[in-house]
Amino acid sequence: MDNSGKEKEAIQLMADADKKVKTSGSFLGGMFGGPHKVEEACEMYCRAANMFKMAKNWNAAGNAFCQAARIHMQLQNKHDSATSFIDAGNAFKKADPNEAIKCLNAAVDIYTDMGRFTIAAKHHITIAEIYESELVDIEKAIAHYEQAADYYKGEESNSSANKCLLKVGAYAAQLEQYAKAIEIYEQVGSSTMDNPLLKYSAKEYFFKASLCHFIVDELNAKLAVEKYEEMFPAFSDSRECKLLKKLLDAHEEQNCEAFTEAIKEFDSISRLDQWQTTMLLRIKKTIQGDEGDLK
Amino acid sequence: MQHIGCQPPLNSKNKKKKETDYFADNQLIEQHFTKPGSKGVWIVKMAYPRTHNPFADEEEEEEQHRSSGGFDDPQERGMSEAERKQRFLQQEVMRTAKSAVVSSQRSLGLIYESEKIGTETAEEVIRQGEALKRTERMVDNMGKDLETSQKHINSIKSVWGGLVNYFKAKPETTKPPPEEPVAYQASSKLQNAMSHSKEHEDKYQASHPNLRKLDTEGFGASASVDDSSSNQNGYPANRQLRAAHQTLDNNLDEMSLGLGRLKNLGLGLQSEIENQDTSLDNLLGKVDKMDLKINKTNQQIKNLK
Repeated sequence: MDNSGKEKEAIQLMADADKKVKTSGSFLGGMFGGPHKVEEACEMYCRAANMFKMAKNWNAAGNAFCQAARIHMQLQNKHDSATSFIDAGNAFKKADPNEAIKCLNAAVDIYTDMGRFTIAAKHHITIAEIYESELVDIEKAIAHYEQAADYYKGEESNSSANKCLLKVGAYAAQLEQYAKAIEIYEQVGSSTMDNPLLKYSAKEYFFKASLCHFIVDELNAKLAVEKYEEMFPAFSDSRECKLLKKLLDAHEEQNCEAFTEAIKEFDSISRLDQWQTTMLLRIKKTIQGDEGDLK
Repeated sequence: MQHIGCQPPLNSKNKKKKETDYFADNQLIEQHFTKPGSKGVWIVKMAYPRTHNPFADEEEEEEQHRSSGGFDDPQERGMSEAERKQRFLQQEVMRTAKSAVVSSQRSLGLIYESEKIGTETAEEVIRQGEALKRTERMVDNMGKDLETSQKHINSIKSVWGGLVNYFKAKPETTKPPPEEPVAYQASSKLQNAMSHSKEHEDKYQASHPNLRKLDTEGFGASASVDDSSSNQNGYPANRQLRAAHQTLDNNLDEMSLGLGRLKNLGLGLQSEIENQDTSLDNLLGKVDKMDLKINKTNQQIKNLK
């Protein structure tokens, strides 16, 4: 009951704010304390938006925040404008993803204009996540993750950049853009293998890169594995490397059972995740496909 | 592995056995079956004469058969007590060895899982470290901006203040270049930790072959016993046991390597987190000072009105 009351109050506030903005637009209003009125209207929009949020009316809240943001822009308060756009985006996330993306994009533009690339990158990630989960537009998600990674690199936040790059790589491989994925994984692998703390995850990245090589061509995979072993001696001790060698042998002999056997053995000790399973299935299909050709 | 030398688990219900060191002798096993067990059976039969059987002796034999662990082969009945017992124990040994292998597989899996979690944590921690550095940089920038605004306020407040400003040195307006990430500082500590742990690893490896010697000793003894006593079933059991032991050894090797890696990871994480702790404290101090400055500036501006 409280919430619906809040909503009415909020609607009332919005109406008042609209009036204020209109009156300030007129010549007289502009003369006598116009800016004050506009600021007040701005504040009222924010309050109204918060009340809509309490009433869980996300669309209205988003709209109110957008209005507030536009007024801030008029007043040349870039920071406040961007923050209001972000609030609008968050509110719309729960109701209308498209609107949310529009608001977040506007905010990102403002931040990049001001030179605040870290925050812009963070919000690129948010946008990409929306594309990932709600709108399921992987291409656009990749684009945003890439943008975020570039910004992070520019700000010398290498681990955040790597995090985004890894997502780009995973999706690129899913969309069969293997060259891109290979490049990304090799890059991340070589940059992490020097860091004493991160080198434990380097073998994971080299493994993924080898899987992508494998799908493209078996010979590539062999050369790649040798190259990685040379670059990173610890890789040859890892179970992933042993698995790769077994898979390469099975592929050479076109032996499906050995292939599956090796995978099962590896899986019994450390689970393979969804992405790796998909890649391995694709490789397996190439084996079976070859068998079909031979027959 | 070691359990071969010690008492095997007692399985049968109503027998009391006294075994000497089972695999100590190389000859046929001498066992002391105290007869109270069989007497007990007989006494039970007397107490509960469900089947008052004149052929109680035969039934005793069958009872012993059934109670000595469920052998189903008819040819088993032909074997002597001792051989049956031995076969039972062999099976026990196999079972225990197999379960040891399975559990070692599980532990290996767990170790790898912990390693995975550790690496993800490490990445996250490093990311946080970078964020902390960035924050510190920004707070420094804020400080400089505040100083500039302070100067402006001074000049606004009074003409005298403006003159004073003119004579004061101009503040630094250039932003400092982005610094290298935290990782480099952490690395020297980590490398020390790594070299230390490598020494320990060698010591650990030295202890491991000793353990292995004990293994094969007990193993060898049982092998010879098996060969001499029951030729038909001895060999396969032997080979399986050997394979089981080898898998176990391999798994243990991998486990020790994995644990070594985990330890290094842990040490690295610890040093990284310690660094971040100190920088967090610094940051806290700076932010507090910044807060005071901002409040002061706000007050001054309000007073200007």
